[in-house]
Amino acid sequence: MGIVRHLQHWLGGSGPALVVSDFVPDDHYLRQWADTFPWASMAAAVDRHLATHFPKETKRGRPSVSTRVLLTLEILKAELACSDEQICSRLRTDFAVMYACGLERVHADRHQSHFVLPEVLAQFRSRLDETLMAELLQIQSTAAMEEGLVSPSHLVVDTFPSEQGSQRVTDATTLYKAKKKS
Amino acid sequence: MVDQVALRLHHPSLQRDAQKVHQQLKKVMRTFGRQCRGQHRTLVQWVRQTERQLLEVGQSVGPLALCAALHLQEDSSLENHQQQRLQAHLRQAAQHYEQIEQQSRRLIHGHPLPHAKIVNPYDRTITPIVKGKSNAPVQFGKKPGIIAEMATGFILGLHLPPGNPDDASYVPPLIEAVDAAIKAIVHPGKPKLKIQSLAGDLAFRPASVRDPLHARGILTQGIPQTTDPLPRTVTPQQVRAVQRSMSFPHIPSAHQVQVATACGYSRPFVESLITQLACRGGTHLKYKGHRGAVIQVSTAILAHNAATLTRIQQNQLTQRAQRCRRWFRLKPSKPLENNNQKN
Repeated sequence: MGIVRHLQHWLGGSGPALVVSDFVPDDHYLRQWADTFPWASMAAAVDRHLATHFPKETKRGRPSVSTRVLLTLEILKAELACSDEQICSRLRTDFAVMYACGLERVHADRHQSHFVLPEVLAQFRSRLDETLMAELLQIQSTAAMEEGLVSPSHLVVDTFPSEQGSQRVTDATTLYKAKKKS
Repeated sequence: MVDQVALRLHHPSLQRDAQKVHQQLKKVMRTFGRQCRGQHRTLVQWVRQTERQLLEVGQSVGPLALCAALHLQEDSSLENHQQQRLQAHLRQAAQHYEQIEQQSRRLIHGHPLPHAKIVNPYDRTITPIVKGKSNAPVQFGKKPGIIAEMATGFILGLHLPPGNPDDASYVPPLIEAVDAAIKAIVHPGKPKLKIQSLAGDLAFRPASVRDPLHARGILTQGIPQTTDPLPRTVTPQQVRAVQRSMSFPHIPSAHQVQVATACGYSRPFVESLITQLACRGGTHLKYKGHRGAVIQVSTAILAHNAATLTRIQQNQLTQRAQRCRRWFRLKPSKPLENNNQKN
């Protein structure tokens, strides 16, 4: 069951093929949102990073899930405020999410429960790092400036607090709060 | 962690000892929780008493981690990368105990704590963020710095240092990020893109921040020297004063000074950026560690930027943004189409 669950349907699915872009309206928010990204250069940057930091020891084995799909899911998670499970589930049923992930055709196969498992997305995220994220942001900024959509001439700089969301009530945190109250 | 390593090494005695310590630590914390629940508040005395118990029980964590590390080195059944990963975890476990113990001793004896105090043993880069919290609970977390375009709020750079450093230290890395993005442009148009002005709040006031920017010909508008409100329009005398303050090769034109002043620092604008990032999970970190925080904030920024570009392409901008874009010589996309719709 293990490897079968990881199989992506577009490698060899059954049933009629559906063209994804036919189902997503031109003015759909996610379609317009996804079209702004320079996906080719961003996916190439991620591939370069993975090839350098996590080289494949063997050429055997099943091809991995496309970098573009995983990268899009990670960014869509932020845009749609979803968890790993929710976004992977939406990829299976939501044509707009499929379009954003760059899937052109899907096979209508109701026996296929997953396209990408949440575990695969978590594994992909564990391979990202600070340098790569800075490079991705730089690629997006460069593309926007090159198209003449934004200008770096007048800028604003500021900081903001980001709270630790999964903070547990540990002795150290409780101690700090108690000290503040007393 | 030590008991997990012992389980992998098939070392029953080490595993037994580690599990025993783990159980004792859990027991102490459970007692602490019950006591506080009964009182409906946290008492400093209970916290300190519990802390002493935890430190006493946790004393054996260091020797156990060392023992596990020795056994791990001798073990040949594990692969090299697995061994390295487990060694790193063990090293981290041993180091954390020492640091927490040191911090705790200093706190009990009433000495002031250093700036970077540990509030979470699993992520030492988390610090209390007191900024903007005069009458509210202090947040534990990180303090990302962003640099954004004044017109639409497109974020060009992110800097997320460990701990809670001075705001002024954010400027050089953020400027470098923008420079890198400009440098990577393959087909630069005319006029050549460059940073003309930078706006910030009072935290970016020091001369150590402003002088290097002036030397590069970057106006530091919106970084006031006093608490007076910032002017939106400048008089000819003020323009001349700004021009005199800049060195020869980078003297700005009157138009540049006027535009920079009009685009000066705006708190509502920055707040709107922060709110948009908050909607995308950029202000509520759930991923573990410093690397996780960078990934989460970066993905929120990438998503935010894409949404901003969508609004620009659809010309769904505020009047202020449209005015700024006219000043920046940025034309709206599909101007003829927009005119047709209006007519």
